Amino acid sequence: MKVKTYMSGEGILPPGFIEKVRRIVGDEHFSRREGDLISYSLDYWLYGVFLSQKGDLPALPSAVISPASAAQIQEIIRYASESKVLITPFGGGSGVLGAAIPLNGSVVLNLQRINRFLNLDEISLTAEFEAGIMGANLELELNQRGYSAGNIPQSLYCSTLGGWISTRAAGQFSTKYGKIEDMVLGMEVVLPDGNLLNIKSVPRRSVGPSLKDLFLGGEGTLGIVTRATISVHPLPELTVKQSFIFPSIEAALDVVRRVLRAEARPAVVRIFDEAESSRYFPGIGRKVVTIFISEGEPEYTTLDARVIRRISRENGGKSSGEEPVDIWLQKRFDIGLGPVLMQYGGIVDTIEVSALFKDAAGLYRDMVAGMKAVEGVLEVSGHYSHFYREGACLYVTFAGVPKDPLRYYQDTWDAAMKATLQNNGSISHHHGVGFWRIQYLEQELGASGVGLLKSIKRAVDPEGILNRGKLVDGGR
Amino acid sequence: MMAEDKKEAEKIARCAMCADMCKYSCPTYLATGRETLSPQKMARLIVYDGKGLLEDENGFLDFMFQSAMCGSCRKHCIYDDYDLRKFIHQARVKAFDRGVVPEDVRKRVDAFREFGNPYGERELIDKGAGDTGYFVSCSSYKDEDLLKATEKMFSKSGLAIRRFGGGDICCGAPLYYAGDMKGFKKAALKMKTGIESRRLRSIIVDCPTCVRTMTETYRQVGIELDVEIMHTVQLIESLLKQGKLGLRKKHGSVTFHDPCILSYDLAISSTPRQIITALGFSLKEPVHSADHTHCCGGAYGAKIGDHRLKDVVTSMRLTELRQTGADIYVTACPTCKSVLSEVNMKYITELVAERTVAKR
Repeated sequence: MKVKTYMSGEGILPPGFIEKVRRIVGDEHFSRREGDLISYSLDYWLYGVFLSQKGDLPALPSAVISPASAAQIQEIIRYASESKVLITPFGGGSGVLGAAIPLNGSVVLNLQRINRFLNLDEISLTAEFEAGIMGANLELELNQRGYSAGNIPQSLYCSTLGGWISTRAAGQFSTKYGKIEDMVLGMEVVLPDGNLLNIKSVPRRSVGPSLKDLFLGGEGTLGIVTRATISVHPLPELTVKQSFIFPSIEAALDVVRRVLRAEARPAVVRIFDEAESSRYFPGIGRKVVTIFISEGEPEYTTLDARVIRRISRENGGKSSGEEPVDIWLQKRFDIGLGPVLMQYGGIVDTIEVSALFKDAAGLYRDMVAGMKAVEGVLEVSGHYSHFYREGACLYVTFAGVPKDPLRYYQDTWDAAMKATLQNNGSISHHHGVGFWRIQYLEQELGASGVGLLKSIKRAVDPEGILNRGKLVDGGR
Repeated sequence: MMAEDKKEAEKIARCAMCADMCKYSCPTYLATGRETLSPQKMARLIVYDGKGLLEDENGFLDFMFQSAMCGSCRKHCIYDDYDLRKFIHQARVKAFDRGVVPEDVRKRVDAFREFGNPYGERELIDKGAGDTGYFVSCSSYKDEDLLKATEKMFSKSGLAIRRFGGGDICCGAPLYYAGDMKGFKKAALKMKTGIESRRLRSIIVDCPTCVRTMTETYRQVGIELDVEIMHTVQLIESLLKQGKLGLRKKHGSVTFHDPCILSYDLAISSTPRQIITALGFSLKEPVHSADHTHCCGGAYGAKIGDHRLKDVVTSMRLTELRQTGADIYVTACPTCKSVLSEVNMKYITELVAERTVAKR
């Protein structure tokens, strides 16, 4: 092929593999066509996207298999395990750490044909879907019936339920509705030996360690999620939008901490630093803007908003009305600038980490300063979102036009991870590990933690066929 | 590179590096689950083809015929100044010029070039009088229920209409989507002559693709029609507002299937719903409707080059529609009506005609 790859491995399929798989899925759902291999070569790992414009792709798969059911996946996985064929699961391809890149000459298992809404239980407030459904379509199905999952990530329009589970994802409304691990009640998983694991939907259980947590963040290394039951919420009857300007990041963090301590539960809380505020809200300029959205049952929501307003005002907040919230709602899915900058040699990426409130402000200062010191950086900005009573997620966006793109990319990431670890934070809040973050994994989990993960991987997938090179590097 | 070309190259390169935020709405992608057919991946292949990075160029051109050209990606694009269909169409022109269009498309083009319809017969409709025309499209001239209903509506509302078209005059869309630009221009010129020779000042058209082709696409080959063109639902809306149609209200539930071009390109989705509720029906919306409608799979427009792909898109849409459990299924595109016939789809004019009584 004329396209170049820089992380491809040997992709020799054993004799008989193609014929067998074709029989399982049908001829039209097995492909080695050039256009298909190129299309499944990359997810949304942004350094890879940057290189892709020149025809440089991380890795081409040996083939693309598109099954239509869990039963077909079981057959394929069983056969792949016997034949030692490596498998890379591919959902929406929206992951930003390279978890869906088909390294090592692996075969892509495309999960996008398994995408149906299955049922809604209005009594128990749960809904079941096949894992390949796109987030936006999952929401359309629920909204039509008067409900929402409450999981609205920026990737809503290009990510899947299975992807949310596999990366341990979080959405913009997570402070009220929780993260994906709070939403999933049950799931069906094809294990690396081809057996089917059914984790039934119950509100909670006490029967040993939680098996579903193996797959919430498993990144397709321990099993392939084929369907899941999630909690749902009636569409809100009332939405209250508020925003406040605070004198500093520290002051804003302190207010949100007090709001959550007072048991208010806004769906959205975002603290924008001066740089992000001036981008989002040019009318306000370089100030620390914080937005809140309270929503749900009217009486409770009114009270929630009132508590937020009182605490904000008592602690130095100056109201800036609903407009900033409306602007954010309008712009929140807009990723338009990145693809434009990349054409001119620019690289834009984001890093999300988490820390306790006591460390949150220091983390922001150290991370931004460390990243800004890297040669080629033009801008580093950040916001806090996804709040807990104990702390928050810090989400940093950085852009630069470097002379040496790989050096720049590595150095900015190193600076961000160093600042995070020095401030007792976690290296990832909701984007996961993929292959790019493996280099920092031991600093996060310690040698014992990584060793335990590798032991689990070896026990569950002794041949290391599932998504090798991701999360725990195939258990080796 | 000329400045305009550079600008266009930047647009498609931008799309090729986007996160595919529109793919959740793309009917060919959803029906097949094939990443390659998602808008961003189509754009990546177009960029790579332009850079000479593809070895299997015929394979690439074949993918370019696997789009419904429905405009859902444009509707849900994060960039306001961009329409991927323009670039897919350029690839189709290249394929046509090289003689590598899919077999299904080639057969259709041959029929349309010779007869102006997919049936391989020549039957010109030309009757009535007046300076308001009703263009009988290739997709409706064999549809007796629709034609009878339309006649009844014209008659009850007292409109003098010149009917023309049928099996002889075609807007040229099937040729355009096949990449046959010479054939398309010829068809456009024939249409222009047909309108001018009949001294028409306005035209009513029942096919959204014809409306878009005659109002927008003709400009690509330098042809402007000096005539007002309106879709049938706009006429019905106008007749109702003027009180020219007496209606006998009837109860029941209706699911309206939004034709992709009507909703995405002509931005008409509330009008048909207003008409349906004015007739006394209640609406049962499918999950994917109005701004989120899905293409029926099409047929006459030859937008999808492979009948197998067309079949899976149609099957997906039928499943979505059936889930509403409505009493009646209605649309405003004769192609959609024909393609989705398994749910006894009616054209909206039929619904109106059934409920129309003489004005007293």
